[in-house]
Amino acid sequence: MAGNIAKKKITLALVGNPNSGKTTVFNNLTGARQHVGNWPGVTVEKKEGSLSYEGYDIKVVDLPGVYSLTAYSLDEVIARDFVIDGNPDVVVDIVDASNLERNLYLAVQLLEMGAPLIIALNMMDVAESRGYRIDVNALAREIGTPVVPMVATRNQGTRELLQTAVEVAKGNIKVAGLRLQYGREVEEEIAKLEKIISSNSLSKKYPPRWLAVKLLEEDEEIIKKFKEL
Amino acid sequence: MDREQVLRAKDESLAHLRKVYGDEAETVIADARYGFISGLIKDVLKKPTIDRLTLSDRIDKVVLNRWLGIPIFLAVLYGVFQFTFVASVPLMGWIDKFFGWLAGFAEGISPAWLSSLIADGIIGGVGSVLVFVPVIFLLYIVLSILEDSGYLARAAFVMDRLMHKIGLHGRSFVPLMLGFGCNVPAIMATRTIENPKDRLVTILINPLMSCGARLPIYALFAAAFFTAYQGLVVFSMYAIGIALAFIMAWIFRKRLVKGESGHFVMELPPYRLPTIAGVIMHVWERGRIFLVRAGTIIFGIVVFIWLLDYVGALEPIGRAVAPIFTPAGFGQWQAAVTLIFGILAKEVVVGTFGTLFAVEEGALGETIATQLGWTPLIAYAFMAMCLIYIPCMATIAVVKRETNSWKWTGFAIGYSLTLGWLVATLIYQIGRAFV
Repeated sequence: MAGNIAKKKITLALVGNPNSGKTTVFNNLTGARQHVGNWPGVTVEKKEGSLSYEGYDIKVVDLPGVYSLTAYSLDEVIARDFVIDGNPDVVVDIVDASNLERNLYLAVQLLEMGAPLIIALNMMDVAESRGYRIDVNALAREIGTPVVPMVATRNQGTRELLQTAVEVAKGNIKVAGLRLQYGREVEEEIAKLEKIISSNSLSKKYPPRWLAVKLLEEDEEIIKKFKEL
Repeated sequence: MDREQVLRAKDESLAHLRKVYGDEAETVIADARYGFISGLIKDVLKKPTIDRLTLSDRIDKVVLNRWLGIPIFLAVLYGVFQFTFVASVPLMGWIDKFFGWLAGFAEGISPAWLSSLIADGIIGGVGSVLVFVPVIFLLYIVLSILEDSGYLARAAFVMDRLMHKIGLHGRSFVPLMLGFGCNVPAIMATRTIENPKDRLVTILINPLMSCGARLPIYALFAAAFFTAYQGLVVFSMYAIGIALAFIMAWIFRKRLVKGESGHFVMELPPYRLPTIAGVIMHVWERGRIFLVRAGTIIFGIVVFIWLLDYVGALEPIGRAVAPIFTPAGFGQWQAAVTLIFGILAKEVVVGTFGTLFAVEEGALGETIATQLGWTPLIAYAFMAMCLIYIPCMATIAVVKRETNSWKWTGFAIGYSLTLGWLVATLIYQIGRAFV
């Protein structure tokens, strides 16, 4: 990361559920005119754009919209691989504020991976029009990562998002991360596996605890990685 | 061995957890995540005590109704084509006049071969394709509005039950609907389908969804042969495409790619008022491709065809292939030539007719009727052929890339050629018995 700061380059990955306004945020950030659709599956490949902000060259990578980060479908694999292998300095998860509960599943998984996450709480206008009141500060505190409310269709919150992204990349804002408790029995098995994995070369690239959880979830991609060693 | 140790430890842990929980660890872990989230939600989200029925919900009550859903979808589709055709007539007239004026200009050029190249080849060929720009753009405008509003996602939902009957999932319908624009991005959109078998079948049937490039063909013949029923005739082409896609999917799923189809929850995005900027962006993004193709590929092909025609090579090629199409009614060499070159890009069918007959675009339909002796029945069979036969080159390339198999790519070409010929022949032969 120090090297990146010296060159003043930041790689920012955009993730989010389908239809959370991810591509709109991408367009707001980069000034691009990518296709924005009102149904899932518009972004099937990752798209890149760039911008300058406060002396930083920020590369924005728009990843496919996914609900989770299992390895069941190609778009989920594309998104996950980039978050892990692309070494982004910041991962922005676009969360539909009017569908908070469903959208947070992906955020939780990203935090489990140890991603430098920012939650962009999009569509605040829709949430408000339904009378939802979201305590943004409490959300940030409990989930352990910065939360930026925004209305992407009106280009509101873009600047705040950029500012937060720069602060996270600089290390001024620390992403506390999330250490979910899966229950005593599961935790015991995780601990066992973690111990075995920590001597494995894969644990240099991925957090051992995350690898252990993925093994228990019988994640095909991760099992394949172990087999290929 | 290190890796064996890890994998063995994993299996032991899983066996242990299965015993403890009576469930897969995967489920237990997912439950822990959901549990955390619902706790979090209680802390940070306050919903109004009475969650009123949103406008979205109220619209959905009608649009997603068990019985009304599919009729509403078909009515919407029919309305789309009616509107597109009625609204595009004056615009097409202007463009036609413009090319007529341009051709008149080109006829004065000497030497004669150059004049013929420009007037017959380029203006006749490219011009006859460009005349349909208004139809295509209007269709894209309406489809974009439907898409941005969230209705097309509902259409997929409505079709879900029907899709299950043919062994697919409603989610496969989204890439199918995208096929109305262009099959290339539509086939790429199948990447969201988790089940590889569902995905393969969705790719194979996608070319049956009538793309924008096929619209000029329908528009040309509908205007010439079915003046009063243009919208209906074109709508019927799209409907035949959808019906065949379903039938083929059912057959493929039964015979070729057997197995369970995937299950997932259908996404229903909220209705949103489409923004003008958004619609313009979509239309331009899709329509631009059509214009660029007209200026590059189509231009190149029609010049090549003009050249073949000029040296007298076109007719022998056409005559060699034409007999195949005699049972379908369009066994003339000109028709065969257009179909051969139409493989490169479907709108070339119209461009080739334009070059071959070298008449003003407005008169092209009537010229085909008189010179080839076509009846509305033959025109209809020919339209069906153009709808079904062989995906265009760009689509073939993307089928190869996404299936990563020459076998399935070859199959996609083979079955559509056979099916196209079969349907066209059936239409002609059955139609002849009645008319």
